[in-house]
Amino acid sequence: MKNLKLGEFEEIVILTVGILHGNAYGVTIKDEIEKRLDRQVSVGALQITLRRLEKKGYLSSAHGETAPTRGGRPKLFFTITAYGKKAVEYTRQKRNELWDALPPIVLDL
Amino acid sequence: MNQVKPPKFPLKLLKSFCKPEYHSDIEGDLLEFYARRVKKIGPQKARWLLLKDVLLLFRPGMIRSFKPLQFLNHLTMLKHYIKLSFRGFRRHQSTFFINLLGLSTGLACTFLIYLWVADELSIDKFHENDARLYQVMGNYQQADGINTWNGTSAKLAEALEEEIPEIELAVGATDPDWQMTFNLSVEEGKFKSVGKFVDEDYFKLFSYDLLLGDEDQLFSGKTSIVISENLALNLFQTTENILGETVEWQLQQAKLVATITGVFKAPPYNSTDQFDLVLPFELYQQVYGNDWQNPNSVTYVLLEKGVDAVSVNDKLENILQSKTSDPGPNLFLKPYSENYLFGKYENGVQAGGRVEYVRLFSLIALFILGIACINFMNLSTAKSSRRMKEVGVKKTVGAGRSSLITQYLSESVLMALLSLGLGIAFVLFLLPSFNDITGKEINLQFGPKLILVGLGLAIFTGLAAGSYPALYLSGFQPAMVLKGKLKGSMGEIWIRKGLVVFQFSLSIILIVGVMVLFKQMEFIQNKNLGYDKDNIVLFQNEGKVAEDLETFLAEVKNIPGVLNASSVTNDLFSPPGIGDFQFEGRRIEQADFGRFAVNYDFIETLGLELKEGRGFSRDFAETNEIVLNESAVKVMGISGPIGKKAKLWGTDMTIVGVVQDFHFRSLHENVGPMFFHLSSYSNNIVVRINAGREKETLASLDQYYKQFNPGYVFDYKFLDEDYQALYLSEKRVAILSRYFAGVAIIISCLGLFGLATFTAERRRKEIGIRKILGSSVFLIIKMLSSEFTKMVVLAIFLALPISYLLASKWLSGFAYHITLQWWIFAGAGIIALILTWLTIGHQTLKTARINPVRFLRDE
Repeated sequence: MKNLKLGEFEEIVILTVGILHGNAYGVTIKDEIEKRLDRQVSVGALQITLRRLEKKGYLSSAHGETAPTRGGRPKLFFTITAYGKKAVEYTRQKRNELWDALPPIVLDL
Repeated sequence: MNQVKPPKFPLKLLKSFCKPEYHSDIEGDLLEFYARRVKKIGPQKARWLLLKDVLLLFRPGMIRSFKPLQFLNHLTMLKHYIKLSFRGFRRHQSTFFINLLGLSTGLACTFLIYLWVADELSIDKFHENDARLYQVMGNYQQADGINTWNGTSAKLAEALEEEIPEIELAVGATDPDWQMTFNLSVEEGKFKSVGKFVDEDYFKLFSYDLLLGDEDQLFSGKTSIVISENLALNLFQTTENILGETVEWQLQQAKLVATITGVFKAPPYNSTDQFDLVLPFELYQQVYGNDWQNPNSVTYVLLEKGVDAVSVNDKLENILQSKTSDPGPNLFLKPYSENYLFGKYENGVQAGGRVEYVRLFSLIALFILGIACINFMNLSTAKSSRRMKEVGVKKTVGAGRSSLITQYLSESVLMALLSLGLGIAFVLFLLPSFNDITGKEINLQFGPKLILVGLGLAIFTGLAAGSYPALYLSGFQPAMVLKGKLKGSMGEIWIRKGLVVFQFSLSIILIVGVMVLFKQMEFIQNKNLGYDKDNIVLFQNEGKVAEDLETFLAEVKNIPGVLNASSVTNDLFSPPGIGDFQFEGRRIEQADFGRFAVNYDFIETLGLELKEGRGFSRDFAETNEIVLNESAVKVMGISGPIGKKAKLWGTDMTIVGVVQDFHFRSLHENVGPMFFHLSSYSNNIVVRINAGREKETLASLDQYYKQFNPGYVFDYKFLDEDYQALYLSEKRVAILSRYFAGVAIIISCLGLFGLATFTAERRRKEIGIRKILGSSVFLIIKMLSSEFTKMVVLAIFLALPISYLLASKWLSGFAYHITLQWWIFAGAGIIALILTWLTIGHQTLKTARINPVRFLRDE
């Protein structure tokens, strides 16, 4: 299960794609992350992460409709693959394990 | 919704680097953001943010890979282009050969001129210390203005080295222009060699390699001599173990046995200073004096590193003032290697010199290359109808304009490279005669520099020549050309016509030039100088001959085939000035008054005609006699000159005869006044031999000379050689102009040929219709050729006045010249017309004889 590791930003992107369920493309993903996490995301950083995740097989993409504001360019919708789901699960599980292992006294501080 | 157009640049930028498979949706996202931002924060900021986004997208995962894919493609395309070019060459062989000939002629010319210019610029630059090496020059104030030359006092060098700290070394020497010829004798025999006197540090200043000997000990004694490797080989057949050998040298009356203290490598060919032996300067000063007032030497200076020559000039001034009360020259330093190219001074100011030729020839090279390129363009565009369809099909299939441009450029560069090959073959072939004409020893050494220059030249030519056709052809509208329509603007045609007129004017000027030069040189050859200049032999008066001249001359006259013999002090075509010459109490100070110091029988040996009185004769014991020429009688205003007295150097001289005027200077000058006087000392022996028996007579002369003057070489020359040497530069110009005329004619004809082809192709349909309507072949030929004839006639009318002016200007440099006759100009015009008709004949005939159906059916 070594290959299921996700980076912090990768995890955020995959989760956001999941949240947007069916409406996840460049603009909405960026908006969603910015809204929920209150941080600025550059198109460059987002796109490169999306492509990387797609290459790794966590995401799949499909061209969708276009809009007049897009200059005739199609939207590229992303969805989480089964493998992607596994990766998020894995990350979450590992994170939980870490939380569980944490002695209560540490958090009391 | 209010649509604001997004800026183009960021999107173009994105497209240029983004992976194509990612590009379209990312651009969509960006545009969506942009549209939103415009509403929210205004277009100004939105634009900046868009650019920022694009720039932030510039990261490794996004950037497409440029090289591997593109490179492969380019290579394949290049192969394809080259293949197409070769097919084209094979298919249109005549065009190919015409282009090849035109470009290679142009390149060869340019290359030759480049070699010449590079050689000129390299002269005297080989010295290691070149940047710090200076020659002391002097501005001498004289009656007719400031005279600038290199003469300085022999004492100067030593004073400079001692008194000016900025000067590292200073060396005195004799002027290399004197070309002092020494007679050398060793056990093995006698030799003549050119040499000079130099100071000790000479070999430290100049980079002439010392092969043997100690640099510091070369001139430790007055009896030293340093010789060149070549001379050593001549004298001893070896260069080994010759230090310490003795050589006896003689210069005029000076004679000394010297010991060899060093051997140097003879100066390279690109040195202006050529010498085979050097002697101690101290000796020269001893014999010829070293007065501060006497500028009988030259001085070379090596400055300390980082010293400005201008700052030293002021100090030079002071040095001279502290040494002598005489108003001496204004001394200044001149970089040694500039002497060659910048040798001319006018009234103390630098006024060019040979560098003018360097500039002129560089200009000519550019000019020739330019015309050759334009011709190539002309021919290529003229043949454009052949390629119309190719361009149309390619564009339809999807070739971009840039790839078409690349194709045509690579074709023309290929053409230029092929021409370069042929051009270099031309250069190799022509180089010996080129060296002959220009008096150089240029070798074609294929080093990296030459290859770089050659390739650079070819590629530049290819790009320049191909640029216009490439732009012109690639600009065709595919739909139009596939329909068979080709537009040609009037402007283009005018440019072509103008070019042809220009080229032909140039050719006609050169044709006239060649003819005028030829006639004038012929005139010079055949000009009666007032005596028969053929069959007169000259040789030096030296050794035993000089000791017993009278006996020698008397016996030489007895040799069969010898008609007469005498001797003379001066050079026959450049007599010295008259010196102190007075007639009836007034001094004659005419610059062109010539004085000949001669021996008995001189007038008879030359064969001058006596108008009055007699020549010098041994029968009269009197030696204070002079003979005038007719001009002198006129200039001096004497009537009945015989028996009158004139004063030469204070001595009364009786005028005993008057000779008819004869040419004693070059034909550039009028025959001036002159006189002969008797002189006991002579430099040259003059012998007139029988025409038709030259070989036998010279052989017996040689035999007799060796017997009379053992150890000396019978080194003779004909007077005619001296005469020819007077016109050396004219001869060079004559030969060079012949070559240039040839090149100009070839190039002009190519230009005309291009235009003829172009016109023929454009007018095919017109001619087809004319023929259908009943025009005959003859009429069409007349129609087509009249167009070109008109252009050439225009060129003739432009060129003839110019060539007339140029020719008369050149001829006015000669006091005796041919008259410019009408037939020279008529001849040049007719030659131009005949060339025109020959050039266009083939095309015109071909066009006139076409079957009209062939060109009219596809409309």
